[in-house]
Amino acid sequence: MFRRFAISFLITMVTLPMAARTRPHYGGTLHVETEGDPWQRPDGIARRLVFDGLTTLDSRGTVQSALATGWETDSGDHRWQFRLRAAVHFHDGSPLTATAVVQSLNLDCPANCPWATVRAVGSIVVFTSDAPMPNLPALLAGDQFLIALTVTEDGKASNGNIGTGPFQVASFSNELLALAANETCWQGRPFADAIEIHAHRPVHDQWLDLSIGRADVVEVPAETLRQAQQQRLTVLVSPPATLLGLEVADTGTLSNPMMRAAIAASIDRSALSNVIFQKQGEATASLLPQSLTGFSFLFPVDRDLNKAHELRGGLNTPTLTLSVQGDGTMKLASQRIALNLKEAGFNAQEVNPGGTPHADLMLRMIPLEGGEPSAVLESVSRSAGTAAIPADASSASLYKAERDFLERHTLIPLVDLPKAYATGARVRDLALHADGMPDLAGASLGDAP
Amino acid sequence: MRNDIIRANEIRAETMMAMKLIRWAVMGLSVLMALRSSFATTSPWEQPARVLAEQIAVILGPGQAHLTIRNLSGISNDSVPTIRKLLEQDLKARGVGVAEDESANSVRVTLSENARARLWVAEVVEGNVTQVAMVQLSSDEEQHAKTASGLNLRKEALFRSNEPVLAALETANGLVVLEPEQIVFETQGPDGWHEQSRVSVGQRRPLSRDPRGILLPEGGAAFEAWLAGTQCTGSYEPSPAPGQWTASCQPSDDPWPMTQFEQAAVPVKAFFNGARNYFTGVLTPNIGVDTQPFYSAAWFPRAAGGAALVVGSIDGKVRMIENGVSKQIAGTRDWGSDFAVIHSGCGAGAQIVASGSGEAAGDSLRAYELPALEVIAASAPLDVSGAVMTFWPAPDGKSAFAVVRSAANEYEVDRVSALCN
Repeated sequence: MFRRFAISFLITMVTLPMAARTRPHYGGTLHVETEGDPWQRPDGIARRLVFDGLTTLDSRGTVQSALATGWETDSGDHRWQFRLRAAVHFHDGSPLTATAVVQSLNLDCPANCPWATVRAVGSIVVFTSDAPMPNLPALLAGDQFLIALTVTEDGKASNGNIGTGPFQVASFSNELLALAANETCWQGRPFADAIEIHAHRPVHDQWLDLSIGRADVVEVPAETLRQAQQQRLTVLVSPPATLLGLEVADTGTLSNPMMRAAIAASIDRSALSNVIFQKQGEATASLLPQSLTGFSFLFPVDRDLNKAHELRGGLNTPTLTLSVQGDGTMKLASQRIALNLKEAGFNAQEVNPGGTPHADLMLRMIPLEGGEPSAVLESVSRSAGTAAIPADASSASLYKAERDFLERHTLIPLVDLPKAYATGARVRDLALHADGMPDLAGASLGDAP
Repeated sequence: MRNDIIRANEIRAETMMAMKLIRWAVMGLSVLMALRSSFATTSPWEQPARVLAEQIAVILGPGQAHLTIRNLSGISNDSVPTIRKLLEQDLKARGVGVAEDESANSVRVTLSENARARLWVAEVVEGNVTQVAMVQLSSDEEQHAKTASGLNLRKEALFRSNEPVLAALETANGLVVLEPEQIVFETQGPDGWHEQSRVSVGQRRPLSRDPRGILLPEGGAAFEAWLAGTQCTGSYEPSPAPGQWTASCQPSDDPWPMTQFEQAAVPVKAFFNGARNYFTGVLTPNIGVDTQPFYSAAWFPRAAGGAALVVGSIDGKVRMIENGVSKQIAGTRDWGSDFAVIHSGCGAGAQIVASGSGEAAGDSLRAYELPALEVIAASAPLDVSGAVMTFWPAPDGKSAFAVVRSAANEYEVDRVSALCN
């Protein structure tokens, strides 16, 4: 399976940048369709088109400057200062200031942030924390820390859709988000004049629209990759970009670590990968994929029902609540997990995530953003409530930090999944970001005037 | 007669002796090459094997262990026995003997890798306790260079950078490199290139996502640089002393000189669209024909004398402008947006070398001749390890330079020249 991912990764990473090159054309409207909300976090397709971060990640996942041109830290990584790029403006014409950045970050991250305080000092944004923040530049490239204008120049609250990115919002009605090229974008004007994003479109309808030329870029969920290949769609596939994980509360019955370990041992990851995700995912027991670390095989993925029974020790547990983020395939995955748990002596009942804020178990997709393993580990573990930060940059320290976190069994990794998009014939130079999202600002249209 | 026989015998003896000497020399060379080959094969693994063995020995202490090795990496399986032998030797040197049969202790070594580097992982099992040791190897850099048959194009890597390179200009002992926002002066030492100075271009307007620029020698040690909305002048001295590199830039919307080996009686300049990635099509002085916006243009010598302007328009068509008439050239479907004319002296004397189009799987450069209104391939494609970002002729017109961006987003400046058959 890893080999397939490696091959997909190589095909994606190698063919795109190495394809022969005719200079991209300017102009035209790119039609994109999406099943979800284009503004949803963490991977709403409109977010990276409208907003920028202080930093960004290149295609290899290496941190690059974005709204910040440089950054410095003290020797212990307790204080970071980021210098803002000059002459950058929000789409409404107001200048990008350190104060605006701080306001946006405070809104993005009200709690459990990588920093303790963030403040503006002139044109510099200063982050401080009692704990070291070695991964801060990489973390700030994440989707959750994109910078939006929160207060307009006349002191009014912004609608939250004003950024500094390559496209600005022209209109949003009837599930159609219209974006127009930002002519004065600090990264350079995008090639396409406009992007129209048709939201909440079922995948089947997206593919139909692609086939008749009504859409240029559509989604290909991992479990439909084989079907897309059979239909001879032109598909871009990312390396593992999302982790399907089961969050386990450490309260009540589950405050006993043996119970949590029993749950981890009872889940049949291979069945999830092979059946639910049609062999397009990689069963995993590690937070970080093999392509990032090279040692994910150290965390065995095999189901061990005997061990699960042994760890449970014959204790009767009350029915566990299981919530799911997502529909369709995610629901199927949760049903299979409930079945696995039943075989290990646990009863799990699916509940509506909205109605039960603190379910015992929560199945969700976690983005694997970036190529810095240490930063990805911190980001993933932080999303589960506890930040795992390696002592240094060595593989041994990374392994130790990951192992220590996983031994708590508060987040059980299940399947690594790629992101994939199918493109129409007129789309040129479309590449995927390090987080698997399409770089629509860098794409052009072959039939543009 | 007798003297002839003696002489013949002497010659035969000398010949036999010479042949023996040659045979010994060949055998000696073979042994030396075999030794060298053997050393070269094992040397990359010696250091990581030593480090890993050291870590394993610290965990295990003196004793016996069963060793297994599996390969999940791109290392050839042929190399695994060599790696195993090195590990066994290094473990033995640290008091850990490798047991042939099952032992209470076992060491499972996995030759693995991640996207950036190779990683060797040892799982050291003592009873029911497993400890892990690992060592990271630097990744190999594989060079791919293939030249074509026929009129052969060959490339020679001059310079590599992690920053985008728009153009480069060779100097007496260095290189002027034009980046989107800076001009960099480099000198070459025995151990590679050394950055001497870096001057900001002072770009005031946002750059295009596909930025372009040119560097031209201006006689003596002076040069000119042109970028979108900016023009720079500078000088470099033969001495590598840092203080002798200078450059100054100012905003400018003036037309850019056509960098392609000048054949016209009056130098032609072209206006560049600073917000896009192409020339507007407006030339000065006017050449008598309306030109569409274009990516590349070059003067191509005609057999009957004079030169025609070959223009690669943004609509993908290539046209030839000659005697005030514009005609489309056929056979350019495989062309990318960048081309240059080189005066190789081969065949008709000059060829157009063009990058590949977006329809090919990988990028390449190929030489073409232009006898009439259809191009004829004059060389096989020269594969490049990445995408050709820009391509321009050398100041003497005999060779050309390409900037190639690799899959890892590294930029390489290559000199491309032709070898006649």
